[in-house]
Amino acid sequence: MLRFIGRRVWDGGLTLAALVTLTFFVMRLAPGGPFSKSRKISPEILANIQKTYHLDEPVWMQFGRYVKGLVTFDLGPSTRFRDYTVGDMISAGLPWSVTIGIWAIIVATLIGVALGVAGAMRRNSAADYVAGIVGVVGVAVPIFVIGPLLQSVFALRLGWVPVGGIGAGWRALVLPILVLALPNVAYISRLTRSSMIETLRENYVRTARAKGVGAARMVRRHVLKGTLLPVIAYLGPATAAIITGSILIETIFALPGIGRHFVDAALNRDYPLVMGITLLYGALLIVLNIATDLIRAWIDPRLRNGR
Amino acid sequence: MRRHLAITLGGLMLAASLALSGPATADDTLDRGIGSEWSSLDPQVNFDAAAGWIQSDAYEGLVNFDGSGKVIPGAAESWDISADGKTYVFHLRDGLKWSNGDPLVAQDFVNAVLRTLNPDTASEKGYYFYSVIKVKGAEALANGETKDATTLGMTAPDDRTVVIEMETPNPHMLDLMGAFQLAPLHSPSFEAMGAGVFIDPAHVVSNGAYIIKEVVPQSHVLLERNPNYWDAANVKIPFVKYHVTEDVNTELKRYQAGEIDITYDIPVNQIAALQESIPDQVSISPSTEVTYYSFNLKRPPLDNIDVRRALSLAIDRETLEGKIVKGGAVPTYSFAGGFDPDYHGPQIAEAGMSQAEREAAAKDLFAKAGYGPDNPLKLNIVTTVAEDRIRLAQGVALMWKKVLGVDAQVDSMERKAWLDAFYAGGWDVFADDLVGDFAGPETFLAYMRPSADSGYNWVKPEYDAAMDAAAEEADPAKRNEKLAVAEKILLDDYIFAPIAIEPVRHLVSPHVKGWATSPAGYNNSQFLSLE
Repeated sequence: MLRFIGRRVWDGGLTLAALVTLTFFVMRLAPGGPFSKSRKISPEILANIQKTYHLDEPVWMQFGRYVKGLVTFDLGPSTRFRDYTVGDMISAGLPWSVTIGIWAIIVATLIGVALGVAGAMRRNSAADYVAGIVGVVGVAVPIFVIGPLLQSVFALRLGWVPVGGIGAGWRALVLPILVLALPNVAYISRLTRSSMIETLRENYVRTARAKGVGAARMVRRHVLKGTLLPVIAYLGPATAAIITGSILIETIFALPGIGRHFVDAALNRDYPLVMGITLLYGALLIVLNIATDLIRAWIDPRLRNGR
Repeated sequence: MRRHLAITLGGLMLAASLALSGPATADDTLDRGIGSEWSSLDPQVNFDAAAGWIQSDAYEGLVNFDGSGKVIPGAAESWDISADGKTYVFHLRDGLKWSNGDPLVAQDFVNAVLRTLNPDTASEKGYYFYSVIKVKGAEALANGETKDATTLGMTAPDDRTVVIEMETPNPHMLDLMGAFQLAPLHSPSFEAMGAGVFIDPAHVVSNGAYIIKEVVPQSHVLLERNPNYWDAANVKIPFVKYHVTEDVNTELKRYQAGEIDITYDIPVNQIAALQESIPDQVSISPSTEVTYYSFNLKRPPLDNIDVRRALSLAIDRETLEGKIVKGGAVPTYSFAGGFDPDYHGPQIAEAGMSQAEREAAAKDLFAKAGYGPDNPLKLNIVTTVAEDRIRLAQGVALMWKKVLGVDAQVDSMERKAWLDAFYAGGWDVFADDLVGDFAGPETFLAYMRPSADSGYNWVKPEYDAAMDAAAEEADPAKRNEKLAVAEKILLDDYIFAPIAIEPVRHLVSPHVKGWATSPAGYNNSQFLSLE
């Protein structure tokens, strides 16, 4: 088991190193630079600003400098937000993204699994159809449509929650979490349903049933564990995707998360900030994937030995 | 074990959620939208107009500006101007204080300029002092040729006097003495904490009507009334909150929900409907930004003035702004006019014609140059990806096609790439824009000097000479006349087609009183009140 973890961590490290290198050099291929904004500045002054941020050095030297900084956990200064370092920006934004991300995944899992189980237990019943409709809507209607729609109804018309910002406390997070959860509710409920229908056909379930185990007890003790395997496999990457993919949500609901920095940083050629967030996203994805594998191995003994 | 984990996790989430709950925005707070996040709250570094609003609330320069953009006394209660217009002596008010109670002295203003010019500050704003107004010694300090602070032509002979000596007279110098360009520097806190002090509410020291109370990156900046401000008795609103409002549609909804009192912008496709439903709350007025389409003089046949002139005349500017872009921009036939009511500059020669006459003239000129529907001219227009800019470029392309048979291709790119593309030269027509440093013609005309910007490849010693002549003139009226002579030389060469003066757009809640508009866009919260 330790060897398994060690290998995954080693692979993850290599992946990150490749990611850093690739991002660093590809980013420099884009035309424009962090300070190509005002044409009024004299070349001497511009050169001086470039020098302050080491942008006058050859790219390989800048790369060396960056890697050296990484070793000491120094992600460098932000060129777009001149008051902050990249570390500052990430530590200010990440808690927001993580908070709405984790809540969204919890909400999505609870509702999704419940709908999926209900659908599988009573196929073609009303509950199954509701789950189906939620599934289609959640997957098909994009966030930038459903978000403003919910804002219009619950914030503007009913006034239950604010439109955006963080001034109203927890109420400000209700809509973003729901909107972020919705596509995952859809996916998880479909996943649970099909997985459960399959599990219900397994021999060990039939055996249990033949032995007279009650329906509720059977689901709890025998079926659910088998059913949830694919759901858990999905949750790891989904959590990473939700935390890193909240750009639209954060923009629509005016939340100070990390996702918005990413786009802004890229558009403003804030090289250190783009690097920092890329690295963070990469690391997040790798860690959550490893965690998923570990949980799956814990649930399913077959995965523990062998591969 | 499992249960423990679940409880810990749940507890963490609950704590995070509880930490969020604060009081809802109260009525004693003015909520203002600010667009994308401020790039810096460091007054000597910040170069953003929107962050400039925060800066103008938190700091006060030697002068201040009322809502209509008029220069009024700020930290200086009066000033004397020498007969040659090159030396300004500012007299500070008696008993001025910083927000922490320290006395505010003349040297604090000198230190601010020294820090702005210091290469170590890496500020883009030094050019205000060595280029827009030529303060003696400023350029050498900015270039790092000297580090000797005594060489600067800005001094504080005593605690209440600031003297500024310039190489040439400049009647607009007062426009650059406000908080945006010249916020004073509280040296003790800056030297103790470095530039980080400006975002640290516990330690930042300012001298404006408000002090910085809370800074949350990507969310908001909260300001509170400064009791040590000399005119604190007349500051009516206790708190001002600047919200990051990146998404213009969300901002509109927040305004409609009462979360924002003054928006940063209005979604272009909503302007007409809002002007219908809440006309009193829609505030659209010209800014100091002019859009113009520059022609690449290095690329034939655009080196032929007849071709450039025809292209300029074929643009129906009224239709373009009124029916196609519909963003509230004002069509213009000049480059530097329309910002200062005292400047009576020229327009392009055909400004008085009807559009039909212009189009007829355009066809003749184009035929003379050997082009027309039978021999169509092919060219590209390089523009930014902003929606209204793309629509503008497509509208121009359409008009060129219709009138002159031109095949124009619109190449849109993000702003940074667009800026670099200008000097790379891979364009026939560059969808250009320029934001003036103040609401007057000179900031625009100085920028077009062939000696100031090589990107246009425009060789015109007469223009430089005319601008030099104007720069020596101290009398404002005479200076404007000389600037008009220069602008005529510029317009007569048709090196660009002027398009429009861009607007600023706000929604202003009926609760807000005292709102006024001006091209310079100064709207200090200290002059507003809430009802």
